[in-house]
Amino acid sequence: MFPLTADDIVDNALQSLDERQAREVTKKAADEVVRLAVEKRKAEYRGHAARDEMRNLIDNANLLDRRGGDYKINSTFETATGTTNVEIRKSRQTTVVVVAALVAVLLLLSFLFFNR
Amino acid sequence: MIYTAVAASVLAIALTLYVQRRMAFGAFARRGGRRLTDADLVKVLMGLEPGQLEELFGLYGEQFGPGAARYARRTYLKWKAGEVRPNNRTFRRLLVHLPRVMSFDLKCEVLRRFREEFCPRDEHWLRVRAEDWKESLGPLVASSIEKARTAELPAAVAERLRWLSEGEMQAARAILAESQAREASDALSMLRQEIAAVERLLAEAPGARRVTHRLKLPCAAVTLEIREGRRHGRGARRDSPEEAEFVPADGGRHR
Repeated sequence: MFPLTADDIVDNALQSLDERQAREVTKKAADEVVRLAVEKRKAEYRGHAARDEMRNLIDNANLLDRRGGDYKINSTFETATGTTNVEIRKSRQTTVVVVAALVAVLLLLSFLFFNR
Repeated sequence: MIYTAVAASVLAIALTLYVQRRMAFGAFARRGGRRLTDADLVKVLMGLEPGQLEELFGLYGEQFGPGAARYARRTYLKWKAGEVRPNNRTFRRLLVHLPRVMSFDLKCEVLRRFREEFCPRDEHWLRVRAEDWKESLGPLVASSIEKARTAELPAAVAERLRWLSEGEMQAARAILAESQAREASDALSMLRQEIAAVERLLAEAPGARRVTHRLKLPCAAVTLEIREGRRHGRGARRDSPEEAEFVPADGGRHR
């Protein structure tokens, strides 16, 4: 009626195992708890390091911003739970080009409209 | 000039089709739809950690002689890369005979590799804000935890490697499944600090910012596109009571 839990499966398996096998299974379960704790600790270290690097990235981006001009920063951080990708950019040139293109299109349209 | 453009276009289209086919094929294989070969299974086995591989080759030498072990050690990188396809005898030696003499620990690690490689894996993409990520992501993580607990190897693997589901390996499967479920749960708790750090970056870094985070879970991968929170625009005060919820456990200090 109810789905089997991991405990149920281990209990069922233990009943059909000899003493040596049961000992090995119990030891493996204990080892796995330790492994999980170690992996979690390693992940936390990665997380701390990533947060420090992000803080540096903010400082660097602010520095570039104060200097003026265009910049683009792409950074990847290995964090506790995966990978974070950050892109920070500032491009006045692109903005100028886009505005100029829009103005040109508007001028062209108005020229075509008034010369019909 | 025109010929170059046409050639470049044809090349680009061919490359796109090839990549799409490869991706579709990979997904198909992961779902268990593709017929698994001996080489696929040996390739996964060769992905064991160095210490575990050493134990495996030691047993291989004991069972089949030093010459066979030397050949296996020399060739394992090629098996791993898929450059050399192991013959049926090698497959049977590695994955049918050796498990009879492997330690329970080593068999568990082989099972772990097979589960990582062959159990179904979902891909998700979510756009979240710092204040609503948990509501969006919670159900996905819960589903990943449930999936980790119930995931089974594809029938094609289980049928060929019957030892993986016999006797003590049933208990091993339950232990590894529970372990994967706890990894997913740990990931959710650690993600909170990471989102807080990203939120700070979005609030304090200048220019246009785009942040994505690829969260790896045992039975799923979730790509989060994280946007600036509504209440944390640039220049917003960061000492409000609700902000405290997102401050990392170290008080936000950075060493």
